[in-house]
Amino acid sequence: MDANDRRERIAEEAAEWWVTLQGEVTRVEREQFIDWLRESGLHVAEMLRIAQVHGALKQFERWSKISTDGSGGDEDVVVPLPNSETPPKPTPDIPKRTPRLLTLALAAALVLVAVGLSVNYWLSLRGTVIETARGERRDVSLADGSTVQVDPQSRLRVKYEPERRLVVLDRGRALFHVAKNKERPFLVTADGTTVRAVGTAFGVEKRDRGVVVTVSEGRVAVGPTPSVSVPAVATSPEASAVRKEGSADVPAVTARRAAGSSKRSPEVLLDAGEQVTVAEGGGVEPVRAVDSGRALAWADGRLVFENDSVEHVVEEFNRYNRIQLEVRDAELVKRPISGTFSAADPESFVAFLQTVVAVNVRQDDAGNTVIEPAR
Amino acid sequence: MRGYEQRGGGLMADSNSKGRLVEWFRLWRSPLRKFLSSRGAVPAADLDDVAQEVFLRLMRYDRTELIEHPQAYLFKMATNVAAEWAIRGRYVKSREPEWLAEIASKERVEDEAGQVELQDEIECALKTLTPRQREVMKLQFYEGLGRHEIADRLATTERSVKRVLMKGYAKLRLELRPELLKEVSHGRE
Repeated sequence: MDANDRRERIAEEAAEWWVTLQGEVTRVEREQFIDWLRESGLHVAEMLRIAQVHGALKQFERWSKISTDGSGGDEDVVVPLPNSETPPKPTPDIPKRTPRLLTLALAAALVLVAVGLSVNYWLSLRGTVIETARGERRDVSLADGSTVQVDPQSRLRVKYEPERRLVVLDRGRALFHVAKNKERPFLVTADGTTVRAVGTAFGVEKRDRGVVVTVSEGRVAVGPTPSVSVPAVATSPEASAVRKEGSADVPAVTARRAAGSSKRSPEVLLDAGEQVTVAEGGGVEPVRAVDSGRALAWADGRLVFENDSVEHVVEEFNRYNRIQLEVRDAELVKRPISGTFSAADPESFVAFLQTVVAVNVRQDDAGNTVIEPAR
Repeated sequence: MRGYEQRGGGLMADSNSKGRLVEWFRLWRSPLRKFLSSRGAVPAADLDDVAQEVFLRLMRYDRTELIEHPQAYLFKMATNVAAEWAIRGRYVKSREPEWLAEIASKERVEDEAGQVELQDEIECALKTLTPRQREVMKLQFYEGLGRHEIADRLATTERSVKRVLMKGYAKLRLELRPELLKEVSHGRE
């Protein structure tokens, strides 16, 4: 790529940054901007030039003379947005920028690495993005006083509009404390499910088996995201509480689809202390009563286990901590465990394990904790 | 146990005034304006050098601090470098004494001819944009609409408006002659 092409490309990137910085930017975006600036003096130069272009436009006095004839519509290929809370995924109409463009599959970790303008940057143009890596929890205040407690390895996008407050949960889970505003409903969308709240506290988890909504205070309405109507199906009562990733735990909804499914969007109302799971196919499991304090303990960084296998517990701890635990004992991993632990304190959990069975604990080369059977 | 973040000009912006062009300036209006004014002016020929110096300073600064107000730091640094170099006479390529004197003194002689040339140049450059790009720019600069309002007015998405703006800015940067951009810096604040 010759010098002119390079300059042009960087001018485009600078223009991109300029336009992005005009709006509300997250900390992540600011980090990316600083990292981009610090890549080369050329980046800085182009940024300063774009600012000068802006200055020129501000001083321009002949706008009334400028004709806009021929502006019939959007010139790029635009993916038509249905009137839903779920923006479309990035499509091929985004021009290929640089060889460093990464695919959507490479997720959270890369945000923090910030290699030039990654795909995440594109996604962030649609609403403010909050993203956490493994071991990272965040508490975020929103403009209206609502707060979000975000679990590790989660990603959500916030878009506040005059008529409503929108959040899209792309991944993971978050606990919302919603500031009361009747005129401006608070909507959280995960997959095809939307939770509507007015003044309340509730958690939304996006899991393999579906979307789990737990209410701590107030009341929410859970239903399919508008413009996508799915019949609600009553499934069998043995809605499993096991949270194994990637397992075939999703109830066989299709086999039980009600005859003559209605097109009306069914909404389930949840009060404090209630939880519901909406499976991938849209089937809504029966509402169950829960101890919301325990069901939402994860939001405060507390992990509550009830006859969960050591394997599962270790998995959860590993999501909350950089230093990973590994249990190399075939019997021990299957053992059921109950208790409440601080997610940030895996050592206590390891100490607890040592009281249960004789094991050796050591650090491996990477600094991770390995638990092995005692010989 | 709960911590609150994002107060550094991120999500805590006032949502009621969302859409107004002026709003986004709130946090870095002053450094930007100073940079664009005569006091922060950088002669076009020297901008790359100034940028290189700013780049080095950015590298030396603590990253976490920069992240709080990146635009403010960027423009403040550029202004500082410009001022330092002007005082030390490090601008080698520019036309010197009268230019430096102009920088040093707070009052400027309004360069009428220069202003007209600038307006001509911008008008010309705007003609190289697509009608859509012109339309969006006009709505932003002439009518002072924010992106959200522009999207509503044109019945399109904010994302689309951003893309149009991006392309428009990039094109103008390549079209506008650098020396005249310098004139902008000399122009009225």
